[in-house]
Amino acid sequence: MNLIDIRNMSIELKTGTKPIFAVDRVNLTMKEGEVRGLVGESGSGKSLLAQAIVGVLDEKWRVDADRFHWRGNDLMRLSPAERKAIISKDVAMIFQEPMACLDPTTTIGEQLEEAVDVEQLTGFFWQKRQQRKQAAINLLHKVGIKKHEVCVKSFPHQLTDALCQRVMIAMALARRPMLLIADEPTAAMESTNQGQIFRLLASLNQLKNMSILLISHDLENVTHWTNNITVMYSGQFVEAGTTEQIFNQPYHPYTRALVDSSPKANRMIPNKSRLMTLPGSIPILQHLPIGCRLGPRCPRAQQKCVHAPKIKNFHSHQVSCHFPLKDSYS
Amino acid sequence: MLIFTLRRFNLFIFTMLLLTILSFSLSFLFPGEQLINLTGQIDASPEQLAILADEYQQQSGLLSQYFSYLNHLFHGEMGYSMTSNLPIATEVLNRLPATIELTCVALLVAMFFGLPVGFCAAIYHRKLPDNLILTIAMVGYSIPVFWLGLLAILVFSIQLGWLPSAGQISLLFEIEHVTGLQLIDILLSDSPYKWQAFQDATRHLILPVIVVALAPATIFMRLARSAMLEVLDTHYIKAANAKGLTFSQIIYRHAMRNAVIKVIRDVGLQFANLVTIAMVTEVIFSWPGIGRWLIESIYQRDYTAIQGGLIVLSTFIFIVHIIIDFVYAALNPLAREPRNGKR
Repeated sequence: MNLIDIRNMSIELKTGTKPIFAVDRVNLTMKEGEVRGLVGESGSGKSLLAQAIVGVLDEKWRVDADRFHWRGNDLMRLSPAERKAIISKDVAMIFQEPMACLDPTTTIGEQLEEAVDVEQLTGFFWQKRQQRKQAAINLLHKVGIKKHEVCVKSFPHQLTDALCQRVMIAMALARRPMLLIADEPTAAMESTNQGQIFRLLASLNQLKNMSILLISHDLENVTHWTNNITVMYSGQFVEAGTTEQIFNQPYHPYTRALVDSSPKANRMIPNKSRLMTLPGSIPILQHLPIGCRLGPRCPRAQQKCVHAPKIKNFHSHQVSCHFPLKDSYS
Repeated sequence: MLIFTLRRFNLFIFTMLLLTILSFSLSFLFPGEQLINLTGQIDASPEQLAILADEYQQQSGLLSQYFSYLNHLFHGEMGYSMTSNLPIATEVLNRLPATIELTCVALLVAMFFGLPVGFCAAIYHRKLPDNLILTIAMVGYSIPVFWLGLLAILVFSIQLGWLPSAGQISLLFEIEHVTGLQLIDILLSDSPYKWQAFQDATRHLILPVIVVALAPATIFMRLARSAMLEVLDTHYIKAANAKGLTFSQIIYRHAMRNAVIKVIRDVGLQFANLVTIAMVTEVIFSWPGIGRWLIESIYQRDYTAIQGGLIVLSTFIFIVHIIIDFVYAALNPLAREPRNGKR
């Protein structure tokens, strides 16, 4: 059974004149225990999609979907309160800037304790308090923080970014979620710390069978840690498949460009040669192209591309393009 | 925390230095002779004046004159009032507690009323309660104090007869002067009519406090509203939301404290404003405070009293400032420790 199944989710920015589709009919499915990467440039709507799943978007956004199933439950039929109850029980999210996501005036211990699920506690309220404290310390141990006494008493500004992100992960683990959404968890972090955080996430996936949706703009980095990848561009679905399919045989011209744009050590690149890039830049929200939004930048674009393409499925490798690069590999 | 305390102390010393320099120079700027302005002894004989000139080191330079003035200040000698011939220090000591009582109660009322209402407006941003509160805040801020005071007396004391219109307590009660703060004195006294006296003093306090507190409360409302809106827009509120906390948990545990921190410093700044309003209010309600005395001294050209009152009032305001700064530091962990490069 699919853990999460989203068909044609649109996220609309309410404006005075006409609504803007910041995310336009995106599909996303995840199985239990899967690590899926969600890749796209900044501004491609991947964070929006994640926030829409967790339900923390504010009132200026409107979310709509043809299907939004959580473990077989149709969430679109439930009221927002019921939806939030289900989602906050099973889905946790960590954000880009861990320091900014912790309340600066409350100690780490207090913030951890309030994340602990009430249902895990037993007994009277004084016993519960003790258990809460113990649960918070256990959570810190789980994310590899050994000096829990110091950490519990500190304020967020007294810890490093990487430690804050570990605390955020600890908080996310408090409710024993089935799905963890990590929204660029290592942005603006040193590479050693990045590795630590990714290894922690990978071990959580293996030991607790927790599914992870890893959001990143760095396709190459993500490939080390994921089973499957979904690529987005400018709020549209581009391509989805296993990591090998996406990385070695991308069918969509955009994914092809994304893979080619990162330099590789084993490929000989002549000195001072240009890296392969697409012309232009990602369109701004006020001036989105019709049809396939990659159209103006796409090397293979033709007249047909002013209509949005249907998703084609080649052995669970989905691609949204009129002219996929399928034949160029055979 | 120690460094923070030392910093505030340092600030206090320098501000006091500037204040005393200002007050000292006032004695030159006021019309009349400087020595008489400083001491307030208008009827002194030439021999007495000579003794005074010696005491204040009139024959030596300006600097030593200033230091002898400081010396007198530290010994609590601020000269004599030109109109009543009483020492300024006793005059001030008799009147300052009443002002402290009025302004502090008004500040607390303004805070405890203004902040929650402002938070409420932010929570219902752009809905009916928000607009209503903003309108009330605008109207409340625009009403002149003297008019509001007179109107309050007219309606509540004269027409409805609910509350007394003037004074601090009814003349029937005799309360010993211990701390000078009326309410505390009443509680300390062992009169059999203690509770009646307490009730009476509270009834006297209500109208002036409301009049003084109205304008600051409306300012606090708007400050609290914008602070809360800012806080509700931050990442940590979104993260707390994703953590599965309910809306009221987010407001009580995270949003309120952070919003109060943003507001509390401005509360200190508004206190000077509040004291000015209290001075006018004291005149209207014949409140026996220092503000009324100061305004009367200005009318009577009592220069010594103006100087002394100025120093005492500004010191009081400044001390309240520092206390509020400490409250700020207690609430905000970031303020307690200096961080390199960030402030």
